[in-house]
Amino acid sequence: MVELNIRQPAGPEEFPDPSEIPPLAHGAMADSKPYPASAEHQKAIGFPGELVDDWKERAIDKLGELVSKSRGLRVYLDTCVKCGACTDKCHYFLGTADPNNMPVARQDLLRKVYRRYFTFAGKYFPWLVGAADLTEEVLDEWFSYFHQCSQCRRCSVYCPYGIDTAEISMAAREIMDTVGKGQKYCNEIIGKVHKYGNNLGLQEKAHRATLADLEEDIEDETGVAVRLPLDEKGADILLVTPSADFFAEPHIDGLIGYAKVFHHVGASWTISSYASEAANFGLFIGSQENMRELALRIRKAAEDLGVNRIVFGECGHAWRAAYNFLDTLAGPFDFLDQRYPIPQHICEYTYDLIQKGALNLDKARNDHIRLTFHDSCNIARASRMGDWEGGQFDIPRAILRASCNHFYDMPADTIREATFCCGGGGGLLTDELMDLRKKGAQPRMRALQQVAGEHGVTHMAAICAICKTQFAKVMPEFGFEMDAIVSVHQMVSNAIILDGQIEDDEDGPTMTASGNGADGGEE
Amino acid sequence: MAYQMNGSTVEHDEEGYITDLGAWNKELADLIAADENIEMTDEHWEVVNFLREYYEEYQIAPAVRVLIKAIKKTMGKDKGNNKYLYTLFPYGPAKQACKIAGLPKPTGCV
Amino acid sequence: MLTILYALLFYGATVVLVAGVVFRIWQYSTTPAPLKIPTTPAPVTRGGVVMRFGREVVLFESLFKANKWIWLFGWIFHAGLLLVLMRHLRYFTEPVWSWVALMQPLGLYAGFAMVAGLLGLWARRIIVPRIRYISAPSDHLMLALIVGIGVSGLAMKYVARTDIVAAKAFILGLLYFDWQPIPADPVLLIHLALVAVLMIIFPVSKLLHAPGLFFSPSRNQADDARERRHVSPSWPASLPTGAGAKR
Repeated sequence: MVELNIRQPAGPEEFPDPSEIPPLAHGAMADSKPYPASAEHQKAIGFPGELVDDWKERAIDKLGELVSKSRGLRVYLDTCVKCGACTDKCHYFLGTADPNNMPVARQDLLRKVYRRYFTFAGKYFPWLVGAADLTEEVLDEWFSYFHQCSQCRRCSVYCPYGIDTAEISMAAREIMDTVGKGQKYCNEIIGKVHKYGNNLGLQEKAHRATLADLEEDIEDETGVAVRLPLDEKGADILLVTPSADFFAEPHIDGLIGYAKVFHHVGASWTISSYASEAANFGLFIGSQENMRELALRIRKAAEDLGVNRIVFGECGHAWRAAYNFLDTLAGPFDFLDQRYPIPQHICEYTYDLIQKGALNLDKARNDHIRLTFHDSCNIARASRMGDWEGGQFDIPRAILRASCNHFYDMPADTIREATFCCGGGGGLLTDELMDLRKKGAQPRMRALQQVAGEHGVTHMAAICAICKTQFAKVMPEFGFEMDAIVSVHQMVSNAIILDGQIEDDEDGPTMTASGNGADGGEE
Repeated sequence: MAYQMNGSTVEHDEEGYITDLGAWNKELADLIAADENIEMTDEHWEVVNFLREYYEEYQIAPAVRVLIKAIKKTMGKDKGNNKYLYTLFPYGPAKQACKIAGLPKPTGCV
Repeated sequence: MLTILYALLFYGATVVLVAGVVFRIWQYSTTPAPLKIPTTPAPVTRGGVVMRFGREVVLFESLFKANKWIWLFGWIFHAGLLLVLMRHLRYFTEPVWSWVALMQPLGLYAGFAMVAGLLGLWARRIIVPRIRYISAPSDHLMLALIVGIGVSGLAMKYVARTDIVAAKAFILGLLYFDWQPIPADPVLLIHLALVAVLMIIFPVSKLLHAPGLFFSPSRNQADDARERRHVSPSWPASLPTGAGAKR
């Protein structure tokens, strides 16, 4: 930990308020835009390659179609009373001060066009109700500000009508895609999943080599031959995890954690090279057709491999798409074992084992870490774990408390359903939006600074591939090491003692290599 | 968008990744590195060469962990870690080193 | 002449209000909700959803979490409005229902509370830069309209008392299609005209939040995606259905 003197007890007044409301800075982020998708990327997922000539008519038609096909969108566009309850709830507004990042103002960018072409008041009295023609300027505004929404749903918690800006952002992106104005990051990636089965473009040979490499690492470290099976027919469990788990840090340490848990209880499991991606970026661009195709890949993999259960790895929006949409889009899953939740989250799986006392966890092995937990937005506000309301908050914390001795939550108004997005969700985890990502991370980072100051917290765990990558990138801006972000199952991996495990060599548990949080262990 | 080199041009995308992977050569790597404010040393070349070999075999860049392990083998324990790689490539070994090695940018939640 | 004008105005306004709201409810209920999108943590049962709505409608639970000032003014206004509407039942019933007679004084205080709540909301709309930024002229006009209704109503009680017996006769006459003359009291005429305007614009304005709330998928869906397969009847046609679809 740099720049955080944990030995001096600090009063809360020293820490800036994560929810501090900035004075409005008009147009502050008007120039923030993602790269547009190339013609090739657009066409690969069923959209026109460039802005079509009659884009205006087609955009309006598409808006009408979406409104007629989505009760949520229609109700959300109609019912807002501009009460202002949401105006200070978006992390991008808090971080950028741009009033168009207030959820209602962001919605209004689409609502003003909806009103102009689809409502009585907007058709005949546009000036009265803030209705506006769809022009090129408006389209540019959409491209900018609907790519400053991470679809985290925080605003929806506080809206008296539950208006969800995420739905409106998705609709706007779908409209833009339809007229040929797509976003490179999302659309290129969706194309890769159609082609290779994952966001990375990881092909079977490389996939197999990577997993073999990890098996070697685990055996070197523990002396136990833990397997990471690929495409094993007849396995009991299909693990679908974000492909970042095969590539990035600290994601890969989480994957090792899942493997150790499966190994410890003798589970028969496999990864699929055909459906090697949990994330479903179709959600980000509001394309239900693309979402459905990606969901069907998972169904096909489960059928082809003949598994009985599907378990999802640590991934935020993916869990939303799996938990809420998989059955609708690709179900019914009659062929799976109905005694288990379909699908199940890896945290639910591990939690059940902990409850049964089936895992041998030595918390002291994480004593160099003082931990907090970041509730990933789409797990917190768009899904559930367990069979009780709010299980998505309790289960990961229970796993962490079972894996380490020093756990502290961040301030109450920044966690659970009030959690702040990491700043990189919803298709914004791309380098050209780095300025936005840093600013959007500010509320979460301030909350972390507070718990670091008050309780000497050194690390933060997360259960989302995007969160992990985003934090690894932006944490140094806020005085933390890039490896202060850890996977939940990385903590499990550190703590678990496998049958026949040899004691650590001088390297210690893998993640401590650069964690260097030893001083954080002092009370 | 293109790199200009000895009178020839090599196209690249918005982020500086070359679009024709076959157009890469060592001079181009130096040029891209200079654009990124990186002066290529032997250690940089070690990473770039490994990335290219790996890509040749697997059509993708290696996981960061795999890269670290390889570097550990060739350059020793004190250099075989993520921190050291970041000192070589401040914007991250995966993305920045790939750009210099003439490989496509790793995509996804990475 | 005035009587005919107002009678027609109210018949027209009632038709617009009822037809408009019925149309909206039909429109909302027939628009498919393709996917499960409850804002979680959400109740896991239908019964729990009913409780959630109870808290939202009676207590404005989400708004309370969001902003105490907006909640305070908004809740006072809506509670006041409810009591005032209940009090107004005395003009529509003969004999007046006993509970309506009993709550008359409460209804009067509620009139003041309602106007006070509205003025609080209006003040925020003008003073708080964030809310000023999101306000369109119609947002101010809507407040002006309802404040106008409230103030003119209170004026008839406390400033220039109107011939309430004649006014009631006029209203009952409308109900039973036995038209009685409307008292030519300017305050009453203003009050009634504003009410008619409100009724007419209800189905084409943000007042739709009243029925709309009940159709908001983020609030009205139970969090039971894994227990019950969600399939929207009209979208998309190509989704696999059939045996087991309603597990």
